[in-house]
Amino acid sequence: MRKIFPAEELARDARFIRQTTEQRLGDPRGARIAGGNSGTRLAKLTPELANGPDRARALMHGIFTGEIQALEGAGRTCWDFEVGEDVPLELKLDMARQCWDEARHCEISIALAEHMGTELGEFAENGLLYEAACNPDPVLRLTGVNRALEGLAIDVFNTMKEFGNMAGDPVLEFCEDWMLADEVTHVKMGSDWLRRLTENDKERLDKALEFQKVVDRLFSFNGFRGEDDDSPIQLTRRFRELAGFSDDEIDEIADMSREAKAEVTS
Amino acid sequence: MTETKRPREPFAPWDRRTLPGLFDVEETAKRVGHYKWVELKLFEALGGWVATVPELDVKMRLGTHCYHHAWHADLVGKRLTEVREMKTDRLTLPANEHMVAFIDAMTEPEDAAMTIEKLVGVYRVLIPHKIAAYTYHRNATSEITDMPTVRILDFILQDEFNDWREGEMLIQSMIESEEELDRAMIHQTKLEKLMLAAGGIAGPGSIGDAYVEIPEEN
Amino acid sequence: MTQVSVTPESFEMVFYDAAVIGEVVAEVAERLGVEENITVEIDEGSPLGRSKITSYDPIELWVDGGAFENTKRPRQFGNARSRDTIGRLLLRILDRRSGRFNETPADDELDLMQFAAWDVHCVGRLERLGIGGQRQRRLYQFRNRHGFTDVADAAFDQLWDSSELSWTEIERISEDCRAA
Repeated sequence: MRKIFPAEELARDARFIRQTTEQRLGDPRGARIAGGNSGTRLAKLTPELANGPDRARALMHGIFTGEIQALEGAGRTCWDFEVGEDVPLELKLDMARQCWDEARHCEISIALAEHMGTELGEFAENGLLYEAACNPDPVLRLTGVNRALEGLAIDVFNTMKEFGNMAGDPVLEFCEDWMLADEVTHVKMGSDWLRRLTENDKERLDKALEFQKVVDRLFSFNGFRGEDDDSPIQLTRRFRELAGFSDDEIDEIADMSREAKAEVTS
Repeated sequence: MTETKRPREPFAPWDRRTLPGLFDVEETAKRVGHYKWVELKLFEALGGWVATVPELDVKMRLGTHCYHHAWHADLVGKRLTEVREMKTDRLTLPANEHMVAFIDAMTEPEDAAMTIEKLVGVYRVLIPHKIAAYTYHRNATSEITDMPTVRILDFILQDEFNDWREGEMLIQSMIESEEELDRAMIHQTKLEKLMLAAGGIAGPGSIGDAYVEIPEEN
Repeated sequence: MTQVSVTPESFEMVFYDAAVIGEVVAEVAERLGVEENITVEIDEGSPLGRSKITSYDPIELWVDGGAFENTKRPRQFGNARSRDTIGRLLLRILDRRSGRFNETPADDELDLMQFAAWDVHCVGRLERLGIGGQRQRRLYQFRNRHGFTDVADAAFDQLWDSSELSWTEIERISEDCRAA
């Protein structure tokens, strides 16, 4: 088994269809929702919304696929690095514990999908979380996943928990609260290891924090296309640089996106 | 009123534990070091495989079992420090080069179509051999002097039996054709031969010697 | 034969084909016995899933692009979802014309509970016609409006399984959940 398992080879059964980060960011409709037209800005998720339950279903499915990738990412961290050379044993033990937690979250999410009437694979899966977990530097990996993405997950779980509470849904609120408790532990794991492993390495610390910021913004983004330094396209390139992709690989991915767009407009 | 001065046997009639056990401190430390190495390799492999298997139920089970064996590595690692081995890395070793070869062969399958091989290696070969070695150790060592090891192994064995059962059921549910059965048996045979060469997870003597030496007749 | 006109005629933000959409709408209309012309306006710039009837006669429908989208493949046309969306809209039109819904408030005056109850009654009938379904999804939506209770579940079953309820009956079933 190789070290570093590429995101494009993530094993899935036939129900799951992957949407790349470039495809998500390349969706031109995102500008309307991101704030280009305030009349259609995405409202906060509450049961009072006409499409509230369906939005909750879609969000829950996104959480589910995120949990699978978090499980896979933690598992890969157990395998990809040598104890002693690359990481202390205790870091791997923490990752193994995270594997268990994320496996439970998958189980919870599947049960919630059944509760909400969602089919597994009903929505496209975005692979950003696992892509962040592919970083060849374990510090950047934990920062991107445990601090950035799991930190965002806390916001999402709180939203879902409130939704369940407002709707009087005892199952949803109960489940989200349990998952929330675990995520706080994961964020702390990321913070603790970031501090310990970069104690005498400011350059590595700075790079990790930059990666965290990039992941943060990419994940939050809704597809707005822009030309300035903060545009998602620039973010994606920088994300891939920090994630260890070579320039050739990044160019190839960018070319594929351009070709796909050209096919649509021709 | 209880007669407080009346003496009692320190070992109650039903407490048949005796001294000595089969393993001294040094031998225990050596074996425990091998166990730790195996648990480490196993949890790393299970974690690495999660991303490579498409079957959702298998993914989740591997993630759960990954933690079980990581916890085992941690438990036995702590025991090492209690049997006069403060630098636990020194004894966290494979029993021999054949165990290294075994783990390499066990962890080689990566393709998404090889879930059967991955599961067979763990649940039909490695874990049964672990159960055998741990059972031998907990029965053979002194339940008086080495009770901490016995207790740890009892906890570990509980996980091993449960994980073995879950893994075995996954394998049985996945084998639906003679071709798949052949794949399972071929891979199992290949790995069993490597384990045979290793002599077990702690090397020769992992489960003692069940044979009797008969002196030659003159 | 139903004539369907779709606007826009070509799409730039999503990979939809107006001709295909027209065929799907016509097929659903035929299944429901609608034999008049239908106009469908699609806001391709919106990934949301809203839909509404902008005119009952002639039939004019408006949808967010997302209401026709394949959720597995963003920006691609979703046949099943589109049939479900169109089916629900057309069935509401037929209900209003049937004489059983004369007391029904205008669409934009329906509250969430009323809308959800009517929706369940529509989707149950559509499922029996081989259009759409997703019973558990509809149950979850209904529970969000009417409560996570045995009373609400029983109300859902009644709405789903019944064939031709009147508005008065639908409203009563929904109100009974409020009272419980």
